[in-house]
Amino acid sequence: MNKKWLFALVLIGLLILGACSESTIPEGAESNGSSSSSEAGDQEVIYASTTDAVGLSPTMTNDSVSSSVMSQIYENLFERNPETMEIEPKLAESYENPDELTWVIKLKEGIEFQDGTPFNAEAVKYTFEKLIDPATAAPRASLLEPIDTITAVDETTVEIKTKYPYGPLLAALSHSNAAIISPTADEAQDLMQNPVGTGPFKFESWNQGDQVVLVKNEDYWNGAPTLDKVTYKVVPEVSTAISMLQTGEVNFIDALPSEQLSRVESLENIDVTKKDGTPVYYLTFNHSQERNENPDFRKAVASAINRDAFVEKLNGLGVRSNSVLGPQVFGYDESADEAGTAYDPEAAKQLVEENGFGDEPIKLLAANRDNFILMAEIVQAQLTEAGFNVEIETMEWATFLDTARAGEYDLTFLSWSNVTSDGSEMLYPNFHSDNVGASNRAQYSNPEFDKLVEASRTTVDQDERKKYLDQANQLMLDEDAVVVMYHGVVTAATDKSIKGLELDPNGQWFLQNVTRE
Amino acid sequence: MTTAETLELKPKKREKYYITTLKRLFKNKLAVIGLVIVILQILIAIFAPFITIHDPIKQNLANSEMPVFSEGHWLGTDNYGRDVWSRIVYGARISLVVGSVAVTLGLVGGIILGMLAGYYRKLDAIIMRFVDLLFSFPGILLAMLIIAILGTSLVNVAIAISIWSIPTCARIVRGSVLSIKEKEYIMAMRSMGASDLRIMIRHILPNASAPIIVFATMRMATAILSTAALSYLGLGAQPPTPEWGAMISQGQDFMWSSPHLTIVPGIAIMLTVFAFNVLGDGLRDALDPNMDLQQ
Repeated sequence: MNKKWLFALVLIGLLILGACSESTIPEGAESNGSSSSSEAGDQEVIYASTTDAVGLSPTMTNDSVSSSVMSQIYENLFERNPETMEIEPKLAESYENPDELTWVIKLKEGIEFQDGTPFNAEAVKYTFEKLIDPATAAPRASLLEPIDTITAVDETTVEIKTKYPYGPLLAALSHSNAAIISPTADEAQDLMQNPVGTGPFKFESWNQGDQVVLVKNEDYWNGAPTLDKVTYKVVPEVSTAISMLQTGEVNFIDALPSEQLSRVESLENIDVTKKDGTPVYYLTFNHSQERNENPDFRKAVASAINRDAFVEKLNGLGVRSNSVLGPQVFGYDESADEAGTAYDPEAAKQLVEENGFGDEPIKLLAANRDNFILMAEIVQAQLTEAGFNVEIETMEWATFLDTARAGEYDLTFLSWSNVTSDGSEMLYPNFHSDNVGASNRAQYSNPEFDKLVEASRTTVDQDERKKYLDQANQLMLDEDAVVVMYHGVVTAATDKSIKGLELDPNGQWFLQNVTRE
Repeated sequence: MTTAETLELKPKKREKYYITTLKRLFKNKLAVIGLVIVILQILIAIFAPFITIHDPIKQNLANSEMPVFSEGHWLGTDNYGRDVWSRIVYGARISLVVGSVAVTLGLVGGIILGMLAGYYRKLDAIIMRFVDLLFSFPGILLAMLIIAILGTSLVNVAIAISIWSIPTCARIVRGSVLSIKEKEYIMAMRSMGASDLRIMIRHILPNASAPIIVFATMRMATAILSTAALSYLGLGAQPPTPEWGAMISQGQDFMWSSPHLTIVPGIAIMLTVFAFNVLGDGLRDALDPNMDLQQ
C-alpha cells in the first residue's frame, strides 16, 4: 500500500513539474511576440530543423543548420548562381588576375553592415585574416589556406596573394564560412551569439534549443526583403515537423527523408521542391588494408552492388551515376556516368569463388542515420548474395566519423555535401594523400591521382581545371577506389502561400525574395 | 547418527510440495495465460525453420512494404521486402536467448554476492555498498554505459543487462539468507561441523529458491524489454538481425505508409513481457502462500 501512495505522490509531483516547465515556454515566446505568428497574410516564415544551430559566426562554425541561418544574415564576395552554376560577384563588383598568384577584387560601394559599419576592403581583410589566423582555430580555415597576404589597396579594392596558383579560390570565397563579418561588431561582441552581417535579415533573438528569430533589414543594399520575420524552430523529430507543417505551425522544412516523401507530397497545403544536388554518397574501401588493395577484390565488390535497385528505393531523392563528381559539381563529365565496374552478379560470384573472398569476414561500418542504414542493409544483402561474408556495425555519427578517420573498418559509407560545388573541394579533402588521418577517411593514397588533384588546384584556367578533375575522377573509377551509390537530391517542403524560395544544389537556401500570399 | 540428508525434505514430501505449488499456480488464470504464451514462444523459437517459408534476412526489393495478409506474407513485408512473420519468429529466438543468458549471468553473480553478504557478517557491508553503487545508476543508463565501453553487439547487451540484474538479485538473496541462517536446522548443521560451503549450497540455497525463481521470471520480462530498447536505440542487434526492438526502430520511419512494421513487433514485445510478468506474479503467489498475510 505504502508503495502505491509513494508512486502516486511522485506522479503528481512530476505532473506539477511538467506543468511548470510547459508554462514557462509560452511566456518566453510571447515576450518575443511570436504567439500570433502563423496567421495567414503575415509576411513571416517559420522554418523547422531537427537540430539547433551551433553558432552564428561564419568564422567559427561548419555545419549546415548554422549556415542556413547565417546565409540570411551574412553575404560573400562571390556566390554560385544556382541555375548556371557559374560563380558571380555578390559583395564584389569584379575581379582580375594580374598574374597567377594575385587576385585583385573590386568591391561594391556604399554597402553598410547591419550595425552601420561601412563594408570596405578593411572588413574583407579583417574577415579573411581572422579565418586564417591559427589562433582563431576556425574549423574551415583550410578554405583559405593557400592565401599568403591580403592587402586593402584602397577603400574598395582588395588584393589577395596566394602561396601557389590556386584555381578554386573564387569557389572558396563563395563558401558560407567565408562570409564577410562586421569588424566593429566582432570586436565588441560574440558573433556566435550576436551576428552582424550585410545580408537581407538581421538577428533578433536566439532561445537556445528552441528558436532563432531574424527580422527584416530595412536598409538592405539590394532592396529590403518582403518578409518581416523569419523563425527557425528546433523540432527534433522529422515526423513531428511534418505534422506541424500540415497544421500550419511551421511553413517550411527541408532535407526530407525519402521514406517520408510520399506523406509530405500527399499534404494538400504543401509544395515540395526537389532539385538535383551536389551531395554524393559512396561506398569506400579502407585503402590502407592489404586485402582491399587487391584490384580483383574491389572489382568483385563493385560488380556485386546493384546501384539501380538501390536508387529506386529512394523514391526519386537520388540521382544514379557512377561518377564521383556528380552532375551538379564542377569537374563532372557525362562520360563518367558509366565509368568503373558495372553491376554483374555472375562476375562477382565468380571472382569471389576463384579468390576465396568469402572466407574472411568483412566489417561494413555504417553511421546510425536513416540513409546510411538503408545503404548498409541493401549492400550487405547484395554482397552476401555474391558470396561475401559481411557484418554490419552501426555507430552514432560523431563516433563513426572518428572511427572512419582512424581507418578502423573494412568497408564503409561516406558522404560529402560539397558547399562550394567544386570538384577540387571533393577530391582534395576526401582522397588526397595529404589528408590521410584527417578528412581522407578512405585512406586513399595514389601518387598519380594526387598529381591530378594538385594540378586541378594550382591551375587558374577553369577549362584546364575541369580536365584535370575529370581525369582524376575517371582514374578513381577505373580502379574501383569507391562505389558511388547515389547523388543527393535536395528538397524543401513549403506551405503553398510561400513563393520565391531559392534552393541551391548544395541544400542551402535564401529567403531574400520570398513572399507570403 | 543424524546426517544432513535426513534433515532435507524427503523425495515424497518434495514432490508434494511441487504439486501443491503447481495447483496453486493453475488456479491463477492470468498466470496460466502467461505460461501458455511463454511455452508457445519457446516452441516457436525452437521450431522457427519449420513454421516459416522465408529467410528472415533475405531481401526482395521488388516486394517491399507489402501490407498484412498479402499473398505469401501473412504479416506483410518490410522496407527491404523481408517477410515480417519470419523476422518475428526468428526474433523470438533472439529475445529468449539474450533474455535467458542475461538473467542466468545476473543470477549467478547475484546469488554469489547475496549469499556471501548474507552469510558472512564481515563481507556484508563491503558487498552491499558495492551493490548500492550499482543501484545508484538508473538501469538503462548503466546498460548504455557498459555497451559504450564494450561496443555494440547482442553479446554485450546480454552482459550489460546481467550486470544490471546483479544488485537486485543480490539483495533478494541476502534477505532470504539472513532469515534462513537463523533457522534452527542451520544452527544444527553448524553445530555438527558442516562446512560453510555445504550449508550455503545444500541447505540455504534450496530454501531461498522461491524468491529467486520469481525474480528470474520477472527479470526475463525486463531483460527482453531492455534488449529491445537497446536495439531500438541502435546499441544492440546490428542490422539485418531480426530483433524486435530494431524492427520497431526501422519501422517507425514508415509509420504512415506501413504501420504494421512497428505494430507487429510491438505486439510481440508486449505479449512476451506481459506473459513473463503475470507468470512471475502467479509464481510468487504460488510459491509463497504467506504473501497474502504480509500485505
